[in-house]
Amino acid sequence: MRSEARAAAREALPVEMTDQTPDATVREGEMEGVLRAVGELGFRGASVRAVLEYSGGHRRQFYEHFDSLEDCFQQAYRTWIDRLGVELLEAAIAADGWLESVRAGLVRLFQLVTERPEISRALFVEVHVAGGEAMAEHDAAIERLTLALDSVRGNLPDEEAPPETTGLFVVGGIEACICDVLAAGETRRIWDALPELMHLAAGSYLGKEAADEAYEDTRALLERERPELGGGQR
Amino acid sequence: MTELRLVTEEPAGDGPFSTGTPLPRRLPPGRHGIPANLVTEHQRRRLLAAMAEALAEQGYAGVTTTRVSELAGVSTSTFYKHFGNLWDCALAAYVAASDRLCAAIEVACAECDPRQDPLDAGVEAALAFCAAEPDATQLLSAHAPLEASAIAAARRILISRLAAMLRRGRGPESESPQLPGLDERLIDATFTFVASRISAGGSAQLADLAPELTAILSRPRQAA
Repeated sequence: MRSEARAAAREALPVEMTDQTPDATVREGEMEGVLRAVGELGFRGASVRAVLEYSGGHRRQFYEHFDSLEDCFQQAYRTWIDRLGVELLEAAIAADGWLESVRAGLVRLFQLVTERPEISRALFVEVHVAGGEAMAEHDAAIERLTLALDSVRGNLPDEEAPPETTGLFVVGGIEACICDVLAAGETRRIWDALPELMHLAAGSYLGKEAADEAYEDTRALLERERPELGGGQR
Repeated sequence: MTELRLVTEEPAGDGPFSTGTPLPRRLPPGRHGIPANLVTEHQRRRLLAAMAEALAEQGYAGVTTTRVSELAGVSTSTFYKHFGNLWDCALAAYVAASDRLCAAIEVACAECDPRQDPLDAGVEAALAFCAAEPDATQLLSAHAPLEASAIAAARRILISRLAAMLRRGRGPESESPQLPGLDERLIDATFTFVASRISAGGSAQLADLAPELTAILSRPRQAA
């Protein structure tokens, strides 16, 4: 099931995979380096020197791969946000049912936030500072997630359909929550918000009863499996 | 570091710099006989407005004290008489805009027709504020950079204040929330939503969103 999900996700979101040549490996390292530098120093504080401290390699080589620090950030952003999109879609497809898919996607997202906070900070917070093409990539990713979330509309009778902008609203709430814990430097706290965010998603589309159930189910899941999911102990 | 205040210190409504009075770009040059404390207050207010304008224009990546001073019509040395650095000014602008937004909602809820749902009144007032002050709205909704962590803290305070208002707006049955964090999530989502609308099509049509926004905010608490 997992390999099928992976294949379906890759087909749905074509992602440019980096080849394995030494030069490509260095370029890949520089892209990770720029995200780490931006995540740890802020977009305004990052520099090519800082990127190279994370990635290794030489300044000349960096400029063979990228026109500027901004260009490197934009390319790194697109690569990482596309990969994250695929991973979320894989997790969602592998789950059974809309609510379970939403939760599986959130769990995968929160794993990234807790495992790679500096990269997450670059992807979710500092991109707003950077603006430009990276922000356009961000907005496109938000739109894809909104469409995926909105897929539940197909199962709802017309009279129960939520307002049109519900998807954008819910995705905005999820992102704001992530930004908040990253800004506070309390990434483990994101797991405490999982039941509330499930309540928000379920309630916004399906109403109070579904929201309360999603909240309780998610709380029970965290009580049973939080360390295994990657959320540590409370 | 600028002190983070929860309580507004707006001057009385009939003062020279009361809310709604447009600020002239700069005071007349030379001997004008205006008391020094009023000149100082006027400069500070211009700097706060200029900070929001500069952020809307250049974003956090490009904003500088030079640009803020230029927009406020003061020298950079005057800027530094008021604020220790760029982020102190941004924080002060954030807190001032937060206070104005909360005051607008509180007044609207307090003065609304008894037949009107306070939630409707609050949402309409919030959207009217956002439409009238798009620069301030973007300042309030944007996520601050790493260097400006105090703004992130101020944002959390604002979200909590608005969430408490949302609970009050829903009425007494919602006063003891079972899910204390949910309203904060709803407010966070609202900010992102409104900011994306301003970026996409300007602020002119924001008022039209009121019924939809009220429906979205109520839905998680309503039976299907």
